[in-house]
Amino acid sequence: MIDDFYAYSPYELDAAAKSRLLTGELKRLTAFHREHSPEYAGFLRTVGYDEDKVEKASDIPFFPVRMFKEFDLISIDRSEVFKTLTSSGTTGQSVSKIFLDKQTALSQQKVMARILGDFWGKKRIPLLVIDTPAVLRDRKMFTARGAAVLGLSVIARDTVYVLNDDMSLNTDRLREFLEKYGSQPFTVFGFTFMVWQHFYKELLKTDERFDLSQAFLMTGGGWKKLVDSAVSHSEFKRCITETTGITHFLDHYGMAEQTGCIYAECECGHLHASIYSDVFIRDPEDFSLCPNGTKGIIQVVSALPGSYPGHSLLTEDEGIILGEDDCPCGRKGKYIEILGRMKSAEIRGCSDTYADKFR
Amino acid sequence: MQINSDKIEFLVGNAEVLEKSAETPVLPMFSEQMKSFLSDLSRELFADPRSKGYKDVLSYAYWIRSSSLQQAESRHNDVDMRLGRGLALHIAPSNVPVNFAVSMTSSALAGNISVVRLSSKQFVQADIICSAMERLLTSSHTALRTYFCIIRYPHDPEITGWLSSMCDIRIIWGGDRTINEVRALPLPTRAIEMTFADRFSAAVINSDEYLVQDSKKVAEGFYTDTYYTDQNACSSPRFVIWTGNSVPEARERFWEALAELVDRDYDMQPLQAVDKYTAVCAAGMSMDGIKLISSGNRIVRAELERLTPDVMKFKTGGGLFFEYTASSLEEIVPILTKQCQTLSLLGISVKDVKELVFRNGVRGCDRIVPLGQTMGLEFIWDGFRMIETMTRYMYYDK
Repeated sequence: MIDDFYAYSPYELDAAAKSRLLTGELKRLTAFHREHSPEYAGFLRTVGYDEDKVEKASDIPFFPVRMFKEFDLISIDRSEVFKTLTSSGTTGQSVSKIFLDKQTALSQQKVMARILGDFWGKKRIPLLVIDTPAVLRDRKMFTARGAAVLGLSVIARDTVYVLNDDMSLNTDRLREFLEKYGSQPFTVFGFTFMVWQHFYKELLKTDERFDLSQAFLMTGGGWKKLVDSAVSHSEFKRCITETTGITHFLDHYGMAEQTGCIYAECECGHLHASIYSDVFIRDPEDFSLCPNGTKGIIQVVSALPGSYPGHSLLTEDEGIILGEDDCPCGRKGKYIEILGRMKSAEIRGCSDTYADKFR
Repeated sequence: MQINSDKIEFLVGNAEVLEKSAETPVLPMFSEQMKSFLSDLSRELFADPRSKGYKDVLSYAYWIRSSSLQQAESRHNDVDMRLGRGLALHIAPSNVPVNFAVSMTSSALAGNISVVRLSSKQFVQADIICSAMERLLTSSHTALRTYFCIIRYPHDPEITGWLSSMCDIRIIWGGDRTINEVRALPLPTRAIEMTFADRFSAAVINSDEYLVQDSKKVAEGFYTDTYYTDQNACSSPRFVIWTGNSVPEARERFWEALAELVDRDYDMQPLQAVDKYTAVCAAGMSMDGIKLISSGNRIVRAELERLTPDVMKFKTGGGLFFEYTASSLEEIVPILTKQCQTLSLLGISVKDVKELVFRNGVRGCDRIVPLGQTMGLEFIWDGFRMIETMTRYMYYDK
């Protein structure tokens, strides 16, 4: 059970110890979801899953993440649904629907708190959210953006939203927050593009100078939009430091389908897998495992999804495992680099093919 | 009504040709001018060094050469009673690059003025054909200048609506959505419409016959049927159905021979691997009796316990095949639905399949060809005799 993991700190276990812990839990989850989700059972039959042949975490079948957009995948009774999470798909795209029971939602928050605690200490610190309070207004049905904010606010001392409902920057609220907390460590959280567009660019327009030098800036949600507007990772950091004084950055990789198990960026700029999850890189030719240092399709496994079959997922992102157990920051486990979403193939497509529906 | 022709890019023809099309006289079926134009186009295409890299451009050029047109004409015995209907508007497909030319050639030989809207997807093949046409229409064939417009414009119901309002035949190639969108735009009361919707196709192979054939040759043909167009042509087989007494052996040899070609020639994008895997899994989650049996991702094969057209909901291109072993030909009847277009055969008698279709009165299967020849260009498509359907038949007492 997930409680077994709490005996360790998030980056304590080396490859062998982690594999023992994770493999058993993943096997248990596979059996559980097979029993409770008919669609997932159909998937296992299709790929010919044989539990007796599972020796390590990578032997668990990888479930295409796109399935959450097409099927309602749920392994609990509908009456036990505590929250329904949706991915923050851009307009026009179909969204993933993730059904959470109380237990799964709780462990997501707990794990996120433990992971982040490893970076900025266990003390609860004030949180400045580069978003509007509207992301949380409908608690029954909210987005990954909302889930991330909620997860963080639970472990924060005081949460302040710095954007108005129309996404404009509320400088009064920012000033108030900094007067109160500006001289001690605090966290600033936002999706990369929103931090850039609605915070950094707005700050440039004001004459007022805000000192955020004590902050950890936690970002997520990918770099695609920024790369589209020709802003590189390092350019982003340089600009933010220049304008706000922020020098502590913490980017992360994660997805609505495995909320909680984030891959957080260490001091060396590496994204780390915690003991609650792991990453495998698959060769597009035959889905075999790629050696470290080789680019391929990202598979993520997580011990948290108890209410929906999302414990082993084939994503549509490409990445590289940079190393394992030997990051100079001292954290054990794999550390990775994310290369972004796979390019939609320039194939001669009929307009109504199955895959197109989800692009 | 006047349109804003700034939004329209003309690859062949110009706005004036369009606007005056109502006054342009129609031509007789198989008119001398048109045959001469097409056979010159054939020569022009063969002479263009860029054509070399495109099998489909070459087969189009071959198809419209003089002797081939002569042959097509000789198959009709009422040519002198037929002439064009007027303006033929073609909404071309985005999956098969030269289909627009096939559609256009049929309406031109029928005697119509052809206006073709190309898909926004850019194909070199279309550029090669359009530039050759433009060269001829501005030099040796200026008399036919008013008979062709090949255009591109961004999705715009206003322009499509305007073109529809003046056409006499509307030909729509595309998925259900495209067809329904275009169909919502009214046609003149006398106009006719032909739709070429998204279809699926199947290959049927007799294992015993296959084993006596050259497996490499068969693989080449099957590669052209499928991977050459990313398996996205309607005629590309998606089902592979085996009959006979040597199925396991034949299957093994068939896929191995194909894999050699695919490994060598096919450029697979990583996302295609995920798309194909996802499609098989989704099918298996929606119905029983589906097993993923391939290990590589270039050729993805799913074995069916029961032959059903339902799995076609999950079809995707790039080399995804649903396989089934049939104990008799009769077993393929369930997939001969309205969506079923081409059956390509190896070692199976055409007569048997034809009789099966007629005996059961099924709604599908418009075409039976040998395996390896699904991409062949024909004046008969999706159950239409293309040229005749685009003509006006004038009855007179002989």
